[in-house]
Amino acid sequence: MATPAPAESGAHRALWRRFRHNLRILHVLAAMDFKLKYAGSALGYVWSVVKPLALFTMLYLVFGRIFDLRTISAYYPLSLLIGIVLFTFFAEATSLGMASVVERAELIRKLSFPRLVIPTSRTVGVAITFAVNVSVIAAFIAWNEIRPNWNWLLLAPLFVELFLFTLGVTLILATLFVRLRDVGQIWELFSQLLFYATPIIYPIGFLPPWARNIAFLSPFTQVLQDVRAIVLYQDLPENRITAADVFEGYGGRLIPIGIAAVVFVVGVVVFRRAAPSFAERV
Amino acid sequence: MSGPAIEVAALCKAFRLPHQKQTTIKEHFLHPFRRVTYETQRALDDVSFSVSPGEFFGIIGPNGSGKSTLLKILAGIYQPDRGTVQVDGLLSPFIELGVGFNFELNARDNVLINGTLLGLSRRDLDERFDDIIGFAELERFVDQRLKNYSSGMLLRLAYSIAIQVEFDILLLDEVLAVGDQSFQMKCFETFDALRAASKTVVFVSHDLASVSRFCDRVVLLQHGRIAGYGPTSEVLDLYLGGIEGAPIPAEPVR
Repeated sequence: MATPAPAESGAHRALWRRFRHNLRILHVLAAMDFKLKYAGSALGYVWSVVKPLALFTMLYLVFGRIFDLRTISAYYPLSLLIGIVLFTFFAEATSLGMASVVERAELIRKLSFPRLVIPTSRTVGVAITFAVNVSVIAAFIAWNEIRPNWNWLLLAPLFVELFLFTLGVTLILATLFVRLRDVGQIWELFSQLLFYATPIIYPIGFLPPWARNIAFLSPFTQVLQDVRAIVLYQDLPENRITAADVFEGYGGRLIPIGIAAVVFVVGVVVFRRAAPSFAERV
Repeated sequence: MSGPAIEVAALCKAFRLPHQKQTTIKEHFLHPFRRVTYETQRALDDVSFSVSPGEFFGIIGPNGSGKSTLLKILAGIYQPDRGTVQVDGLLSPFIELGVGFNFELNARDNVLINGTLLGLSRRDLDERFDDIIGFAELERFVDQRLKNYSSGMLLRLAYSIAIQVEFDILLLDEVLAVGDQSFQMKCFETFDALRAASKTVVFVSHDLASVSRFCDRVVLLQHGRIAGYGPTSEVLDLYLGGIEGAPIPAEPVR
């Protein structure tokens, strides 16, 4: 038997080794997800840019042109595109992540590793697509000749918040999905409802004040409006309403951020509690 | 290093199997008052044994006796209901070959996936890639998708990755069942090398010839209970003599 001190450092090393192993699994699963998504298609990765752009064109023609929302502000197209790209990330990450545990049943039954890696890698994979789409937004921003400023650094923590919130939702859904496959259908409908309930195609100003209070309980709306307020700082004030305005003061912003944090923590706890039995259930 | 490599004490595991799988709400609504009935299947009942470091340890028994369940608990894939498992040493993370293979991807990607899952780093895999492919004799097929591989090619690829993994204790579930003669020969060579390197191996097999050739000691499971435990020849005699006529229960869940 070794003396306690080396034994302890050995345990640390084992822990570190396992941590790096899990990170590598996460990385390889996310990379393969991304690769497989477009396997066998001629355009490949281009699709991840084309799809939100096509959705954008469609919605812009209907709501921007026919319903004339573009007359509200010169920034309507960019505002719409930001909304679509952020929502595409949320919707795709949650729906793909929800099914990920069941889809990876073979791994779960044959290999012992933290199950958390599976939905997390899915979310990371979708985040890579999101990063590609952000470059499209960047092109639009350049086209509109909007000058970046230091505030734009705040986009990073906002994206982190969106990622963690999305992951939290995904973990809850993935846990439920193992037991009850209906969750897939329910969530598909719910995320469509969410798309129209969130001020993506219409400006936040269209909502009456009481409805804004409800909308800003959603961390997604808070992140979306914060991103718009930061990037489209020249837009009309009523298009730049943020959670801080609605809940009065910067403390007010903590309400949706707090909700995001709670969702994330609940997701991790619920998932980890259910994870030991996944091998028997999937 | 004095204690056992694996110490299993009073291990119990039962599966609750619903008689009809209900996984949609509609089924719950259609039969709201019908209780889901369960059948409890005792996969493992009060199983205790220990494996010494460097030992080649066999787990044998008829189908449905709990061998695979036991191996999965050792690997940390299933949680035991009661009892404890203590492992001293680096456990190989896999019990089957080719975990995570994706048939839409080529050999290069699959070596990366499978190797990473088994604990190899990117650098290890880059360095050893040619060795892996060379050992599997698949140089001509590196850029082919796995769906175009024969089962023999798949097995060779999986095996050449698996032998690159570092471990003190190796868990193997029926690796010999699928291979052909030449693959078995390769396995046997590896087993000899493992013995020479005094690695601990826990080995589930129906192939009693290889069990008797390699295993130092064996545990015999019957209906989830230990029916024999000790030196290989004694337990094999017991198995072949006493139990062969006994009814064989259905295969339990995976």
